[in-house]
Amino acid sequence: MEFLNHLGLGFEAALSLNNLTFCFIGVLVGTAIGILPGLGPLATIAMLLPLTYSLDPVTGLIMISGIYYGAQYGGSTTAILVNLPGESSSVVSCLDGHQMARNGRAGAALAIAAIGSFFAGTIATMLIAAFSPVLAEVAFLFGPVEYFAMMVLGLTAATLLAHGSFIKGVAMVLTGLILGLVGADINSGTYRFTFGYFSLTEGIEFVAVAMGLFAFTDIVTNIRGDQARDVTTPSLRNLWVNGKEAKEAALPVVRGTAIGSVLGLLPGGGAMISSFASYAIEKRLAKRPEEFGHGAIAGLAGPEAANNAGAQTSFIPMLTLGIPSNGVMALMIGALMVHNIAPGPYVMVSNPEVFWGLIASMWIGNAMLVVLNLPLIPLWVRLIQIHYWILYPIILTVCCVGLFSIENSLQPIYFAAGFTLVGCLFWRFRAEAAPLLLGLILGPLMEEHFRRALLLSNGDLAIFYRSPLSIVMLSVAAVMCLVILLPQIRRSRSVAFTENA
Amino acid sequence: MFFRLKDKADVEAGLFFTLFGGLTAGLSLQYQMGTIAAMGPGMFPLILGIMLTAIGLIILAKGVMAGGETIRSLSLKAAFLITLSLLVFAALVLAVGLVAAVPAQVFIALWASDHFTLKRAIALSIGLLLFCYLVFIYFLGVAVPMIAI
Repeated sequence: MEFLNHLGLGFEAALSLNNLTFCFIGVLVGTAIGILPGLGPLATIAMLLPLTYSLDPVTGLIMISGIYYGAQYGGSTTAILVNLPGESSSVVSCLDGHQMARNGRAGAALAIAAIGSFFAGTIATMLIAAFSPVLAEVAFLFGPVEYFAMMVLGLTAATLLAHGSFIKGVAMVLTGLILGLVGADINSGTYRFTFGYFSLTEGIEFVAVAMGLFAFTDIVTNIRGDQARDVTTPSLRNLWVNGKEAKEAALPVVRGTAIGSVLGLLPGGGAMISSFASYAIEKRLAKRPEEFGHGAIAGLAGPEAANNAGAQTSFIPMLTLGIPSNGVMALMIGALMVHNIAPGPYVMVSNPEVFWGLIASMWIGNAMLVVLNLPLIPLWVRLIQIHYWILYPIILTVCCVGLFSIENSLQPIYFAAGFTLVGCLFWRFRAEAAPLLLGLILGPLMEEHFRRALLLSNGDLAIFYRSPLSIVMLSVAAVMCLVILLPQIRRSRSVAFTENA
Repeated sequence: MFFRLKDKADVEAGLFFTLFGGLTAGLSLQYQMGTIAAMGPGMFPLILGIMLTAIGLIILAKGVMAGGETIRSLSLKAAFLITLSLLVFAALVLAVGLVAAVPAQVFIALWASDHFTLKRAIALSIGLLLFCYLVFIYFLGVAVPMIAI
């Protein structure tokens, strides 16, 4: 089995003392910040990203992904204990998880979430190890035409599956693509939209955009709702899952893992969709569906496994094709680029220790989560009770120092300030900001492939429907757009979202 | 209440995207267009700008005709103070150092909250300064000055 050799190489890289330490710090800090209500993985990663820039590529990436699943898990903890989803993918965990907590089974709920996530993480890690090389082989066949088509499909699907209005999502993607073009043009070297500022020639710092649009805008919108929170404090004696509960959780965990693994692969998929889908399926399969919403174990175990599996398998398109399927993956690509690694099928060949080290560290990180988090529950409970007025000045200062440290310059702070105002505007007129981030990352790549494709075809636009792969991808994207514009489906989509919210 | 355009999310969003798209398209005209086969630096931004303008107009039309969602109001004071706190931090950190930038940021940012008291702001500033020194300067070695003068 070749992939076992690869995994061996990965574990060798991931198990170095240095990498283990940073994985541990990432998981710990990620959980601690993810637990704070209102701070999802996107804001958490954006906040901590600059601090990883000084590390080696492998170590930096291992730490960021540690932060990612730490934040993911932290969000579930908050959802179960206070009925406040820390992020969109744990909205579902609120439904039955919090009910279990109110029934005095908070410890068991947290344990099921942790163990379910660990199981899903293990399977998803193996899937990544097995399928990434296969997908990368396919990606080697891609030319500029196919890449362009795939980006169109990826962006369409990501916008479609994000919440909020579809057409505003498309507008946000386009806005992001335009912002991504700022800087020197790759072919001619012309400085575009730099308005005479030399610092803009390398483009707008994407961490500044992400912090402005997510972390800082969140602060502005959360300041008002600052009040003490009612937390169900689980006693540690109650942590153990009893036999009946374990039996009820087992199958949903397996099904959730399968659903999450598949949905995470799709462009636009990932943790949130996976948890919604798993909840819906468990409810349908349940012998007593009326228990759902009143502390059904399947309603917690399935979605928790699914969101973790989805969060992990969404790394596959990012690592092999260089296409981010959601905002978090867009940030990961940005992080790779900072370390001068161009995401795509070549990563596996040119930086195998980065690729396999990251994959091995996912499993280690998941194991750390289980070991670390269950004993630390009392600490997390204290964290949730911290007042928001203590938190947000800390977030602001940590972010500012982080922005400064990117290249020892004040420029990113000014940009983040500007994007905070823009982010408030987006929030005001209900435009979701995540699609903008995808566009920002993909803007230069998309232009490059578009121009190269037309250069190859000598200006003939027909090249986009001569390649069979490209025509399939573009048609799927077109069908998606058409479908969403039909009012019937639009209505049922909004129903699906309100039902789960 | 037929033509009440105020507070409609889609009207504001439509205007924003139309203006931004138009601006992009306009600005991209100053760069070389090239041909479809050998595109200059201005072509791709022009295409995106036109597409965004078109979509902005559709959103605007949708907002004017169908209504749709209303805007979410947010505290102007908070938006202004948080942004200001970032700018003040940037202005002070290299000129005077963290000892001035952190307290200034904390005071301005905390002012946006209902829970502002002088005592809290001072306590938070001191704690944050210690944290910054330990984590950023001592442990991570970020080249940010505690005292610049």
